[in-house]
Amino acid sequence: MTSNPYLPAMATIQEVIEETPTIKTFRVTLNNPQIKKDFNFGPGQVGQLSAFGIGEATFVINSPPTRMDYLQFSVMKTGEVTSMLHTLSAGDQIGVRAPLGNAFPYEDMKGKDIVFVGGGIGMAPLRTLLLFMLDNRKDYGKITLLYGARSPVDMAFSYELPEWLERDDLDTHLTIDAEFEGWEHNVGLIPNVLLDINPSPENCVAVTCGPPIMIKFTVQALAKLGFKDEQIYTTLEKRMKCGIGICGRCNIGTSYVCQDGPVYTYAQLKELPNEM
Amino acid sequence: MQNLEDLKEQVRKALPELDVVIGWTGGYDPLHATPHFIRRDEDIDKLQVNALCVHNLATYLPSMRGKKVGIIVKGCDSRSVVELLQEKLIDREDVTIFGFGCTGVVDQTKIRRIVGDVGNIDSCEVSGSEVKVSASGTEHKLAMSDVLSEKCATCRYPNAVLSDHFAGAEITSTATFEDGYKDVVEFEEKPEEEKFGFWLKEMDRCIRCYACRNACPMCVCRDHCVAQSRDPHWLSQEAHVRDKWMFQVIHAYHLAGRCTECGECQRACPVDIPILLFKKKMNKEIKEVFDYEAGINPDATPPLMTFKAEEDKITERKW
Amino acid sequence: MAQTKFIKKESLSAWLEELGQAHTVLAPRFEGDSIIFRPYDSEKGVFIDREATAPPKKAIFPQSETLLEYSQIKDMENLTKIAIDVKETIPTTTYVVFGGRPCDARGFTMFDRVYLDGDQVDVYYKARRENTCFITLTCEKGETTCFCNAVGSGPSDPDGSDLLITPVTDGYYIECVSTKGEGLLASSLLTDGSSMEGEATKYKQAADASMNEAPDFTGSPEKLLAVFDNGPFWEEMSDKCISCGACTYLCPTCYCFNITDEANGLKGTRIRSWDNCMSSMFTSEASGHNPRPAKANRLKNRVGHKFSYYPDIHGGVISCCGCGRCIKSCPVGVDIREMVKSAIAFVDPTAKEVPAEEPKAAPTEKPAPKETSVKAENTSAKAKKNKKSKKPASKKKGAK
Repeated sequence: MTSNPYLPAMATIQEVIEETPTIKTFRVTLNNPQIKKDFNFGPGQVGQLSAFGIGEATFVINSPPTRMDYLQFSVMKTGEVTSMLHTLSAGDQIGVRAPLGNAFPYEDMKGKDIVFVGGGIGMAPLRTLLLFMLDNRKDYGKITLLYGARSPVDMAFSYELPEWLERDDLDTHLTIDAEFEGWEHNVGLIPNVLLDINPSPENCVAVTCGPPIMIKFTVQALAKLGFKDEQIYTTLEKRMKCGIGICGRCNIGTSYVCQDGPVYTYAQLKELPNEM
Repeated sequence: MQNLEDLKEQVRKALPELDVVIGWTGGYDPLHATPHFIRRDEDIDKLQVNALCVHNLATYLPSMRGKKVGIIVKGCDSRSVVELLQEKLIDREDVTIFGFGCTGVVDQTKIRRIVGDVGNIDSCEVSGSEVKVSASGTEHKLAMSDVLSEKCATCRYPNAVLSDHFAGAEITSTATFEDGYKDVVEFEEKPEEEKFGFWLKEMDRCIRCYACRNACPMCVCRDHCVAQSRDPHWLSQEAHVRDKWMFQVIHAYHLAGRCTECGECQRACPVDIPILLFKKKMNKEIKEVFDYEAGINPDATPPLMTFKAEEDKITERKW
Repeated sequence: MAQTKFIKKESLSAWLEELGQAHTVLAPRFEGDSIIFRPYDSEKGVFIDREATAPPKKAIFPQSETLLEYSQIKDMENLTKIAIDVKETIPTTTYVVFGGRPCDARGFTMFDRVYLDGDQVDVYYKARRENTCFITLTCEKGETTCFCNAVGSGPSDPDGSDLLITPVTDGYYIECVSTKGEGLLASSLLTDGSSMEGEATKYKQAADASMNEAPDFTGSPEKLLAVFDNGPFWEEMSDKCISCGACTYLCPTCYCFNITDEANGLKGTRIRSWDNCMSSMFTSEASGHNPRPAKANRLKNRVGHKFSYYPDIHGGVISCCGCGRCIKSCPVGVDIREMVKSAIAFVDPTAKEVPAEEPKAAPTEKPAPKETSVKAENTSAKAKKNKKSKKPASKKKGAK
């Protein structure tokens, strides 16, 4: 990051992947060789993407820091900025302010079993940590992934799923909400499937992200399985502008999601005022 | 107010059936009143009704829809309630209106002009003809006619135009429509450059707090206002007089034929910009073209909320 | 002993003109019925007899300022290829703010902890802060709405100012508070002020004595958190609030902002403009979700931020300078003092039954700030953020 925290680094879009009807993934490289060389981040940290003339929006860097050929952001079309970003294609210029916020405590997670539970676009922040761990596979214990979406067409990163399913050092489970022709995996809501998988909380951490309602019930399911609040990690999303804890809109009590988050344990969230 | 005890009694009787009754009480110093939300019997004792009760409480009604609300109204405030009913923004059966005959409210800006430093008010006594203020130990006797709000000096509706309870006697008014628009006529007669220069100068100090909008009982899209929205993106957030002025124009247009001239926009402005003039100009036009005044008849449809193939006074096609 | 000077009342305008040669001098004057800070104009004079309607916040935190200028440059060989040129626009104008009150200048010390002392320095704010001097006027007396004495300050507090001037016979006694202030003392219009010290001290003592009894905000950080989930409490507190931005935009300590792009064809600017937590759009997310959907949620955040969250993060310092503008400029008379006092006085009727000896189940495990009394916190020494200790997870670590 430059000394001016508001000045985006210019980047070039290398590739655009249409993940689902509403999600596109952008693979970008920073233009300035020095900035590119110095750039590093932790899995879970976010960036602000600039669509000049429209504004900025926050997305997690969902590629892992172990693969620095490009930075990957997945963008769900919901508002003004994301709609503009969806019009961009390979070769287009984009502004990037990153990394912002905190990362998953991947050092503390070493030697532990990991359970990833992702729903919809919520798979993006899990992907960076999952790939980071797969790239440092010996540092971690058993890794389980449960990824769910409404239907197969709503499933992002579908091109990676066969490999994930095939790997014998990764226990992958996929689920959709309702029966779909040709679907060979689980059918059912994520928390229910999670209970069926029945992961042991022993020396294990769970990392979950998805729509608020899914997180709520997933956390309940994890509690039922014996996971303590400190063993459950999630990432929060808030309206953000400055990204550096100043502009004042993303706070939950004393915690600024753009700076102190987006990664929190469930125990930490419980300590914060109830204003999600 | 002479019949405050009657009003309190009416409120006391009605309160058990209501979630809240909105009135006024003493504010941060003796010169200021503040809106008062009456939920408990003991709150009724704090009720204050006098010339310091400047706030139009109808502003609160749309956001309280679904609750049983009692509201104490001056004549002008009652017009806002009626207009809200006309536009179906509130439900008649949920609103209990407590009216009274109003002899006018003060303009705090006028008091400030005369008294100067109003930072330390020791006492304030309000009667029909006089406001006696003691500020920093100095006594000021202000004639009510000198500190009366402009809207009150030319008021034609001193009594609630619609009420479920009415306290005290009705007040008679001899003011005419024309009396209320002398300032507009005077302004209209100025040269274009002078008019525009006036607004450029006045609007420049706008801080874009939108107190004018949020104090307005008819401004009901405040959480989705074009002033800040990006979709549509009509106004820039730059501190440019162009955008500040443009907002007032949009505001005035949205209020054409709806504004009851309660003057809350101007009163709420923390930097005293005379923005009521915009709305009065629109209302004067509406009266000329449609012979209509907002907030008088609950059953009437505001002219810009309906459509007639032929308007008597719109002859732009020369047919 | 810091430098002291004296200036004759009739030399004041000449001094401001002198200062105006090197700086933009902002001074309060009447405009319409309001007193606002404008570039000094000798013909229009200054009006410093009362607290200005709006504080001089815009000197360092403009209502809007350009952060970046961008232009999109089309490649004439391939029109779909567009290069983007982005320029930062760091401000360079130097300002002297004359005639603000101690609360006005002290407000920026609240900004400093956030804009300068965080992990990231706000370079725009830093440039303006360094380029602005405050010549602050000691208050003659407090107003009904003044409560600087309740937030660790007072009518002659020099915190945040560069020069403090105090009315004395025929002129003003000038105290130099900062090295920046020293740079303003070169004028030949200023004479030695040491003989005036006694008179100035008496003036200050009279000002202190004129203040109303300070409301007691002791314990506000914990007490406000304790009522956080009390919906009816906040509903009543916010009953009359109309959710406008008058309180925040007139507040010398409110520092929140928006960032928006304003396009003009292929060129445009990214601007920072005042924004406020009372606005629904402030936290409204693209998905339609709003964590603070009602005015009660928003007012709770405003009060909570000033009297709980900020002091929790910044060593007990309340983010309020007690100027009282939010009270007297509020269209409906919302009084922040009353809200904080109500929260402090609030007793949960359901919690009464807990026996005193039994350790009450703490609602949070957050350590309570050691310094609960905020009155003791009148110091210009920057309370270092203790944010770091709260960081839930490793931050900005490299990949390996």
